[in-house]
Amino acid sequence: MKIAVVGKGGSGKTSVSGVLARSLARSGHSVVGLDCDTNPNLGLSLGVGDLETERLLSLRDQIDEGEQEHAHTWDGILEAYGTDSPDGVRLTVVNRIDNPEPD
Amino acid sequence: MLSSVPESDTVIVADLEAGIGTLTRLPEASVQSTLVVVEPTPRSIDVGLRAALVATERNQGHVTIVANKIANQDDDTRVRNAFADHDVVTVPEDRVMITADRRGSSPIDVDPEAPAVTAISDIATQIVRSGIQNAK
Repeated sequence: MKIAVVGKGGSGKTSVSGVLARSLARSGHSVVGLDCDTNPNLGLSLGVGDLETERLLSLRDQIDEGEQEHAHTWDGILEAYGTDSPDGVRLTVVNRIDNPEPD
Repeated sequence: MLSSVPESDTVIVADLEAGIGTLTRLPEASVQSTLVVVEPTPRSIDVGLRAALVATERNQGHVTIVANKIANQDDDTRVRNAFADHDVVTVPEDRVMITADRRGSSPIDVDPEAPAVTAISDIATQIVRSGIQNAK
């Protein structure tokens, strides 16, 4: 199941996203947090902390600038460019898949 | 990207960019549920109305309005009147959100029993329950 969270900046959408993801994980669901914001702070709302949030953002910037090879599959992205949040939520800030492999 | 993520039992929570830019670029029917988070302010409600319209027109699943930072009945009424055709759920104004923001922490770690946290947890339960029912 995919859930999109939208809203004006400052509406609290990232806080809602973070608590939503953690709550779903606590109730037994496998959960991925996907940060598509140009100012990505979902890591903070998930509880991974400043340093790890910055590390993931830096990775995304390196991919966008061609300094890092992009993963070609969803699982590859989660493995290479994701991190584990409390309660087991997997977080990634990479927001596109280049040349995804066919099913 | 969301549309190319394979379907699975995993729940994906996508925090889209502020405004409706990502939503307008998202291919039709990319998600099963859209949460539109609005504060009880005219500008936030205006963005929320446009987001709800785009999500509905582009078939982005069930659209739920999350009335956030609701301090009183007037706030609640303002949002519900603006989104009379949608499901509206309320998250109360709660200091836990400010405290978490200042600490760089998750609100659920600051106080898992805080009213705003429990309200969002209830929303999570509702969404997944309705998503499973829709999938049947």
